[in-house]
Amino acid sequence: MSDPVDRLAAEPPPLAPPLSAALEQELARFAPVSPRRPLRQLAIVIAISLVYGAGLVAALTMRRDMRELPIAFVFGAGIGWLLGFAVPSYLALVPRAGAVVPRPAWALTSALVASVVFVALGLLVHPSGPSSTALGAEHFTRGHWCLEIGLASAFVPVLIGALFLRGALPVGSRSVAAALGAGGGSLGGLVLHLHCHIADALHVGLVHGGVVVIAALLSAALVPRAT
Amino acid sequence: MQRYQQGDAGAFRELYALVAPRLLGYLMKMAKSRAIAEDLLQQTFLKIHRARGAYVCGADPLPWIYSIAHRTFIDEARRTKRAIVRAGEAVPDVPAGLDGMAADQRDEPRGDPELVRAALDALAELPAQQREAVILTKLDGKTVAEAAEIAGTTVGAMKVRAHRGYEALRRLLAPARKAAS
Repeated sequence: MSDPVDRLAAEPPPLAPPLSAALEQELARFAPVSPRRPLRQLAIVIAISLVYGAGLVAALTMRRDMRELPIAFVFGAGIGWLLGFAVPSYLALVPRAGAVVPRPAWALTSALVASVVFVALGLLVHPSGPSSTALGAEHFTRGHWCLEIGLASAFVPVLIGALFLRGALPVGSRSVAAALGAGGGSLGGLVLHLHCHIADALHVGLVHGGVVVIAALLSAALVPRAT
Repeated sequence: MQRYQQGDAGAFRELYALVAPRLLGYLMKMAKSRAIAEDLLQQTFLKIHRARGAYVCGADPLPWIYSIAHRTFIDEARRTKRAIVRAGEAVPDVPAGLDGMAADQRDEPRGDPELVRAALDALAELPAQQREAVILTKLDGKTVAEAAEIAGTTVGAMKVRAHRGYEALRRLLAPARKAAS
């Protein structure tokens, strides 16, 4: 074995020092903790968030043009938003079998896909009925209320998810946080889909879809500080 | 880990005895100083202890523990770099204090001293990401997937880092190899 790297690899590990005083102090007040149960946490996040979202829709009232829209669009978009909520949340909270840390690369991919897909679909698919409203480019900024509702909807799943992930993310915390935010933003999109009767391309694409993008960015910026 | 989570302090000591030497070896090669590596080791175990509730039953704790050590090293390196910037000094590629330790501050190799020293010196010249990729995959025997999980990157990125690291090491160690043969 003449290779220097092989020689280095064959070196025995060094002797570790004794535990530090700080660690000994921590061990002196050692208390049992329950292990993290990712699937149970996912179920809790989804259940609480859906109840919260339903409460928001009930408080804000259903959109007035609901009965005028194609039934396939109402259900298809609803399922799409639900998947946009559940899939990134799953990837943010549940690691692969045998791992502790969730999958950052998959989580980031899900956040990017959700962001692009919901903005693009909103711009392309936005059927309307006689009771729908169109703001157009001129009055685009009047739709800011939807952004606020969407972000308020995203707040709860992101907050609960961040609490569950405390200490679990030594690496990849921004990617996982982005997925949490995109999931929460999609819940916001679902609430808006059921509440907002504004049906023009710019509003649905850039505001309803934009909620996913902004929630993902805000979450990626803020959640790593809390986890 | 389960006994440890249930409040068994002895299980923590067993975990420390089992993992700490390997982790110290990893941190010494990353930080290039035993004193800093020992401090990072203690910080790592303190973080593990405080985050023990985040462990998932039945999971392999080693990648998670290595990830915490990796994060602790990076945080320390950034802190040192910021301190250097505040002091108005030029910023080195790898922060001073974590780099460029005098030879007498390093652990004496126990095998063939010259070859091991040559390998350590060559390793010290690699950029931090490539150095970590080589340490994890070549010296610590981790798979590329495990190394990627520890560093929080993709398998593809880790393969590239490891490949570049090996290539750079090969160039740097060519004289030592020639001398040994």
